[in-house]
Amino acid sequence: MTDEAPEGSGALGAPEAPDPDEAQRAIEYCYDQGWSDGLPLVPVSKPLLDRFLATTDKEPDEIIGSLEQVGRDVDVRTAAINAAMAGCKPEYFPVVLAAFDALMRERAARGGGFQSTSGPAPLIVVNGPIRQELGFNTAGGAFGPGFRPNMTIPRAIGLIVRNAFGIHPHVLEQATQGVPGRWSICVAENEEESPWEPFAENGGAGGGVSAVSATLTRTMEFVDNRHTPNHEDVLRDFQDTISRIGSQIFPLSSVALVLCPEHAQMFAAAGLSKADVQNWLIERSGRTGAELTSMGKAEVNRKGFRGEYEGDDTFHRFLAGPTSIPVIVAGAKNAAISMVVRIFGEWSGTAVPVVEKK
Amino acid sequence: MPNAILDPTGSVKSKAATAAAPRARRPASLNGARVGLLINTKQNARPFLEEVGRLLTEKYDVTLTERTKVNFAVPEPDEVIKELVADNDVVITGVGDCGSCSAAAAADGVVLEAAGVPVAAIITESFIPTADAMAALRGAPGYPYATTAHPVAVLTEDKVKERAAQVIDDVVALLTDSSGKND
Repeated sequence: MTDEAPEGSGALGAPEAPDPDEAQRAIEYCYDQGWSDGLPLVPVSKPLLDRFLATTDKEPDEIIGSLEQVGRDVDVRTAAINAAMAGCKPEYFPVVLAAFDALMRERAARGGGFQSTSGPAPLIVVNGPIRQELGFNTAGGAFGPGFRPNMTIPRAIGLIVRNAFGIHPHVLEQATQGVPGRWSICVAENEEESPWEPFAENGGAGGGVSAVSATLTRTMEFVDNRHTPNHEDVLRDFQDTISRIGSQIFPLSSVALVLCPEHAQMFAAAGLSKADVQNWLIERSGRTGAELTSMGKAEVNRKGFRGEYEGDDTFHRFLAGPTSIPVIVAGAKNAAISMVVRIFGEWSGTAVPVVEKK
Repeated sequence: MPNAILDPTGSVKSKAATAAAPRARRPASLNGARVGLLINTKQNARPFLEEVGRLLTEKYDVTLTERTKVNFAVPEPDEVIKELVADNDVVITGVGDCGSCSAAAAADGVVLEAAGVPVAAIITESFIPTADAMAALRGAPGYPYATTAHPVAVLTEDKVKERAAQVIDDVVALLTDSSGKND
């Protein structure tokens, strides 16, 4: 009897309305089991799991990732339960599988990444028509929040690491401070406003194919430069941020350049390809021996040069080559604000195709 | 009957666990022992372990061999473990002063012990929980190791030597079984 419901109570009393008290008990049950990353989880039942498993041709028992040092494997079923708990829709599951595959191909993730004091976050990049099909945010606010696939897919990866690999904070996970937004960074490239080829094509995927690439990141730093028509000034601004010494723990490092459409289009209009941007920055990003030494990084400096210190005047490049500075285009075309993303270790950039059920 | 809430931890338990991984038999003393230093490449790990080795040579006339871990973040591969077992009576490893390398030091210790070689892993106090968790996961809950204060990486050469001297008694106690002695 809807007219008995108090005013403003919406669907209260409607026959289809779920029982909130029961839902809350189920959520608290999940907390009590130690499954949560701190936020509420979707309690998963067999019928929900079956809807996830129905989106892939993979068998539920297929092993899709292993972490040798803890001796734990992840199978499709376990990944699906975690994806459902994270709030993914069933149709996101092929993207979760591709993202997890892409991440576990990276040596940094298979090594100590999930246990590291640096507490790195997965950075997931999605390309292709799947972005529109599943409703990814490809425009403003690229790093979130506000969009279900962008938020829940990286959270699914985090829950897999916690629950299936058994890596819990303060125990096998030893992050000193960690990264804000850990387990919530999933960028759908703004291919529509990028002047260049999609990122997945750099990583080996065919044109027009939906694919996912993933790495670990330690943090990101914005470069806000909407002040000049001179593209070389802007490149120098990026060079300055990339050359920061605090992030330098080895002689070489890697960054991802997540360019806003405005910066990307400015470079393209100046005739630069992605490779041109990369090469410009590879040549110039770095510091002298004296600068490294003055900030206590002489040891970092020495390591790469067979134990020998090469002298104060030597310029040390921080980026080894194009794979040390992948270029992605994301965000709105409304301001010239881009991000320098610090990669944990190295990133192969491999793009893993999203495989939906045939 | 409502649906059950499904468990996300997976039915596959750790393959790394050997049921109650055995601890190696200890020699009564280190006199003349072959001591392997397994250096994990973290800053100051080499001078720290080398000083421990020097002190043991002075006191027990041990023979030292050094080896660098293939990857500080993960346990050593089987072939390296085999060589360490063949070449040494006891092994000292460290210094565990990061998340993955402390866990890996404990894991290497458990594996070498099960293969019959006593190990003294040296870990900084900050990483006791992660070393304990890894040892338990590998089938050796309560696995003993030596600890030193955190940090080690930023210490000067003299301070590293001091730390090595402070930990030496614990290392010897971990590697030997003096229970047969009356004194």
